[in-house]
Amino acid sequence: MAQAHVPMADKHRDRAPLFEGTAARFVGQKVLRKEDPRLVTGHGQYVDDIVLPGMVHAAFLRSNVAKGRITKLDTSPALALDGVIAVYTHADLRYVPGTIVATMMQAMGGAACPENLLATDDVRFVGDCIAVVVAESRYIAEDALELIDLVVVAETPVVNLEEALTDTHIVHKELGTNITGTIDIPRDPHIEGLLTESAHVVTATFNQARQTNSPMETRGIVASWDRFRGELQLHMSNQNPHEMRRRAADLLAVDESKVHVAQQDVGGGFGQKMFMPREEAVIVLLSREVGRPLKWIEDRRENLMASNHARRDRATVTFALDADKKIVAGYVDINEDAGAYPFGGAGAGAMAGMLLQGPYKLQRTAFKSYAVFTNTCGRAAYRGPWQFESVIREQMVEHVARRIGIDPVELRRRNVIQWEDLPWTTPMQVMVYDNMSPAETLDQAVEMIGYEAFRAEQKRAFEEEGRLLGIGFSLYIEPSAQNMGALATEGATVQISGTGKVDVFMGTGSHGQSIETTMAQIVAEELGVHVDDVEVHQGDSNTPFGGGTGGSRTASIVSGAGRAAAIQVRQKVFQIAAHLLEANPDDLEIDSSVISVKGTPAGKTVTLAQVSHTALYATEGLPPGMETGLEATARHRQEAVTWSNACHVCTVEINRNTGAVSFARYIVSEDCGLMINPMVVEGQVAGGVVQGIAGVLYEDFRYDADGNPLTTTFMDYLLPTAAEVPIIEHGHIETPSNTPGGYKGMGEGGAIGAPPCVFNAVADALWLLGVEVFDHPLGPNEILDALATAG
Amino acid sequence: MSEVTVHMSVNGTARRGRVEPRKTLADFLREDCVATSVHLACEHGVCGACTVIVDGVASRSCLMFAVQADGASITTAEGLANPDGSLGIVQDAFRQCHGLQCGFCTPGFVVSVTAFLQENADPSLEEIREGIAGNLCRCTGYQGIIKAVQHAAATMAGTPTAMTTSTEGN
Amino acid sequence: MKPAPFEYHAPETIADAVGLLAQHGDDAKPLAGGQSLVPLLSLRLTRFDHLVDLNKIGALSGISRDNGHVVIGAMTRHRAVELDPSIATSVPMLAAAMPWIGHFQIRNRGTIGGSIAHADPAAELPAVAAALDAELEITSKSGVRRVAAADFFQGTFMTAIDTGELLTAARFPVWGKGSGFAFTEFARRSGDFAIAGVGVGLEATGGKITRAAIAFMGMGPVPVRATDAEKALLGVSIASLDAAAVARVAVGATDPTGDVHASAANRTKIATHLAEQALTRAASNAAANA
Ligand SMILES: Cc1cc2nc3c(=O)[nH]c(=O)nc-3n(C[C@H](O)[C@H](O)[C@H](O)COP(=O)(O)OP(=O)(O)OC[C@H]3O[C@@H](n4cnc5c(N)ncnc54)[C@H](O)[C@@H]3O)c2cc1C
Ligand code: FES
Ligand code: FES
Repeated sequence: MAQAHVPMADKHRDRAPLFEGTAARFVGQKVLRKEDPRLVTGHGQYVDDIVLPGMVHAAFLRSNVAKGRITKLDTSPALALDGVIAVYTHADLRYVPGTIVATMMQAMGGAACPENLLATDDVRFVGDCIAVVVAESRYIAEDALELIDLVVVAETPVVNLEEALTDTHIVHKELGTNITGTIDIPRDPHIEGLLTESAHVVTATFNQARQTNSPMETRGIVASWDRFRGELQLHMSNQNPHEMRRRAADLLAVDESKVHVAQQDVGGGFGQKMFMPREEAVIVLLSREVGRPLKWIEDRRENLMASNHARRDRATVTFALDADKKIVAGYVDINEDAGAYPFGGAGAGAMAGMLLQGPYKLQRTAFKSYAVFTNTCGRAAYRGPWQFESVIREQMVEHVARRIGIDPVELRRRNVIQWEDLPWTTPMQVMVYDNMSPAETLDQAVEMIGYEAFRAEQKRAFEEEGRLLGIGFSLYIEPSAQNMGALATEGATVQISGTGKVDVFMGTGSHGQSIETTMAQIVAEELGVHVDDVEVHQGDSNTPFGGGTGGSRTASIVSGAGRAAAIQVRQKVFQIAAHLLEANPDDLEIDSSVISVKGTPAGKTVTLAQVSHTALYATEGLPPGMETGLEATARHRQEAVTWSNACHVCTVEINRNTGAVSFARYIVSEDCGLMINPMVVEGQVAGGVVQGIAGVLYEDFRYDADGNPLTTTFMDYLLPTAAEVPIIEHGHIETPSNTPGGYKGMGEGGAIGAPPCVFNAVADALWLLGVEVFDHPLGPNEILDALATAG
Repeated sequence: MSEVTVHMSVNGTARRGRVEPRKTLADFLREDCVATSVHLACEHGVCGACTVIVDGVASRSCLMFAVQADGASITTAEGLANPDGSLGIVQDAFRQCHGLQCGFCTPGFVVSVTAFLQENADPSLEEIREGIAGNLCRCTGYQGIIKAVQHAAATMAGTPTAMTTSTEGN
Repeated sequence: MKPAPFEYHAPETIADAVGLLAQHGDDAKPLAGGQSLVPLLSLRLTRFDHLVDLNKIGALSGISRDNGHVVIGAMTRHRAVELDPSIATSVPMLAAAMPWIGHFQIRNRGTIGGSIAHADPAAELPAVAAALDAELEITSKSGVRRVAAADFFQGTFMTAIDTGELLTAARFPVWGKGSGFAFTEFARRSGDFAIAGVGVGLEATGGKITRAAIAFMGMGPVPVRATDAEKALLGVSIASLDAAAVARVAVGATDPTGDVHASAANRTKIATHLAEQALTRAASNAAANA
């Protein structure tokens, strides 16, 4: 498998020095995961594994019509069933409006849609929650759901973007319109001129298909309210323990210190578990009513039809190019489908508009974006929530290349930002690009795939055998590790026990990101101890506050905190060791927990255990006046986003008889700054790429004209299997960022780059027949339809 | 409905319980036999997260009722570790090859791969891809899992692939 | 996603099983491998007060020969048929179809009888049974009857099995020398129910086709035999078979509907291609077997 690796450190300016006084044993290495032994043997602990004394089970009665008025809701037959403890409806919730809106969103201006946690007098999508049964087992709870006497008079639903825009039927009667969150950055006369008078002006409309995050572990929560202490204990499958604590406290109107959120293992989330959704909020509220630990484990059908959807976007984009085929202006009109009850991260259109220029030297852009409500499942963040910017731009670049007759790689090369151009201020003046390498990743990808040779083979295979081979690229940059609000901060406590072992406490919510390993690598490196001697404790609200695991923020922001705390502790270790060794702290070094005087291999040493024993047990041995203990809490504040970037390229073949697409190769040339653990980096990239591929070729959440979901099982909502995916090849370029350690975010990139890359490859193959496509998905049905239009 | 008594051997330990006939084997293993490696990611037979070995045969435990396994001998992912608690060959291969991220799909994969390699000790890449297609993973893109199967097969054959491990640092 | 309550019965003989089915009538349902029934129960798309588990009835499992037929007991697992080397020579179309069914874990539990009785229009075994004119052996308290595949499949998930009856075996005719078979299908993912599929059998004597069978799956509510195409093949030289032309005729017998995965028109396109492939392969297998 081809692998290329280009360090760019020599090109870098202003980088903080790395790892003073330690041996760089762990950072940058393939360190095997500390999480794995428990997980591969089945001893992980996920929320459904939590069993508490007296625990009872909840199940939601959900709407099976997309829009309608509730004319009858009689729960008494359900209540009469043996084993049923209670049945709750809207009236039983003591809900204070505003208390589930994500803290981040509140800071940005509040809720956009009504917050009916359970339906009041109407239902607004298939899956909408109407009532909750609490019973001795989930089996009995489901039996009881069938006994509830519910009558809903169906009304005309709004099922898609186009219908929503007309406002003929309204999703939320309280709002009076379906259109929300409009952001309009109008074209000034200069842009207007460029968009009408340039040598080449091309316009196209692209659609993205509806998808859902589908973590393998569905959502779940166990809430126990202790009425005597006035405290809530939450076990919850989530990405963001501090946010959950805050929301739960607000819901119950108790102090945050009265809520403890804990989870050990979380089976994926990809954005779905970042904020407090409606169902979890209901369980939190009801835990107080029930008085026994209350468990709700979402089933797969609920997860598919009612957790959150994403990606249903449409954009009409215009690019203007001068006679040299330099892109001089761009304008895009973006609509996104927010569903009925979006939560957390809906409203990605504006980000997509702002990022339209991507890695190109595009001087002028403007956009309009808005969301619409529909009677469908609400939108929330899904890995790379505004990846539509890359879809729009990269599909457009290749569309333009076809239209004006230039090779798509050549078109990118003429326009891509070069190292010499950095730092680069974007047209809307809000972002400054730096420490990125789009041109270099493009070159690396072109070389790895053997572009010229592929083009020759493509031509031959078509002319001699009528075969449809295609190649597609996508080139993107990603503002990772955000510097806004709660996302800009993270803390860590590093603490050394009396035996010289290291505990680290972090506010993250790992759900597959290998945080217990990578963050241990960072701390081990800074402290000069073995990675096995470091335990990272996270997924718990009894940690320093943090903004959660998402937004590609762990590597640079969390590590920044961990590193800072470790450095403080190391300094104290050296002070104590210097006292014990009668040396100068500045002359010391530590390696494998042994502290010695630099350059004296046979000299006196002291172990970390001896130092920590002194700090905690033999405190008389400390330097006079020194505080006891070896621990520090430090915080990191992210001053600027990091700019990660990558180039994806893949080659495909279309089967003209079945419409199936098969991959020949898939290459990612990526720059996430210095890699903490290349194995983890490649794993994150690969997982994202396959999700991106799936969005174009397999997954497509569908509704019929009445708003009935058609893909509510894993039989119909098609996650790819190992048989469908390409073997992914990786190229690495390492341009250190300005953050401590030089890392950049990379958790989402795979899912951002893959959709346009796959789409472009299929489009390239179809273009051999003069056929063009514009919309996702590209399943066999769509491809056969496209082939049928060929002359 | 009336409950019935079932007996089974789970990872070598005799287990007995009273269950409603409708209780799935998966729920029985999870709730009554402390075998929480059995994960439920779909409960309709597609994802493979609940795969266990029932009398030598890899089966979806969400598609069997506990009563049907009365008298059976069951192996779950917990039972595939070595008696001293160290990782079994397939489990270790998943670790060496980064065949897991969140780990939720992993026990089902470990069981399926163990059964697959018993029938085909030297599979080709294509056979591996087909062989593990009955298990879904949302995190890894299957890259590390495919490598893990190759690595496990080679280890069983006594010719381990050169998976570089550097837990020891450099 | 948990099933509704039911009473569980585990008879050990066919007689006891049909007795229970007779006793409980429409409230009872046989439980075979459970690979189709249990998901439907868990999703609460169906429910029965009584499940009659067939797994303890040893007499329902096994593969034997009888009077030019291979007889497969209803409870014989997919995997047992797939791995039985005799099937590859006696009923090659069946052997070719088996690996297309789900995944190995599904085939470990799923049964021949369950697949045929379930009669999913997109399933492999009903199509194979239809193509080969298999006979289905149905047992009730009043005795055993045999139903030709052509009469057995009556609609989507609907068969000739009546209340109180049990499918006890499927009888697949063994074709003679000079025969060749092929089975192929197209699905979105490995192991999925197919968008379309086709089984073809050809037998030739002295280079001329003397027997032909073509059956499609996923192309209508029941497996569809392409009788016009089959007739047209008789007497044709196996060496100069125009597979593309025959495939076009064959697919004319089908009347598919569209769903989320493929429109009717695209199903027809795919099926035509699959039929051409299968005809070509069956012809070459027949020639090799001459
Ligand atoms: C993930 C997955 C993928 C699958 N993919 C495919 C595929 O690609 N192709 C395919 O064909 N199948 C597929 N299946 C279904 C599988 O093959 C089933 O095994 C089969 O359809 C039913 O067989 P069973 O023995 O499991 O029957 P059960 O599920 O036990 O029963 C099915 C139905 O048949 C009835 N029945 C069973 N046996 C008898 C009998 N002897 N007499 C009368 N009635 C009886 C039952 O009452 C029930 O109504 C898949 C299943 C899963 C879970
Ligand atoms: S939970 Fe059993 S196959 Fe998914
Ligand atoms: S590792 Fe998360 S689903 Fe496979």
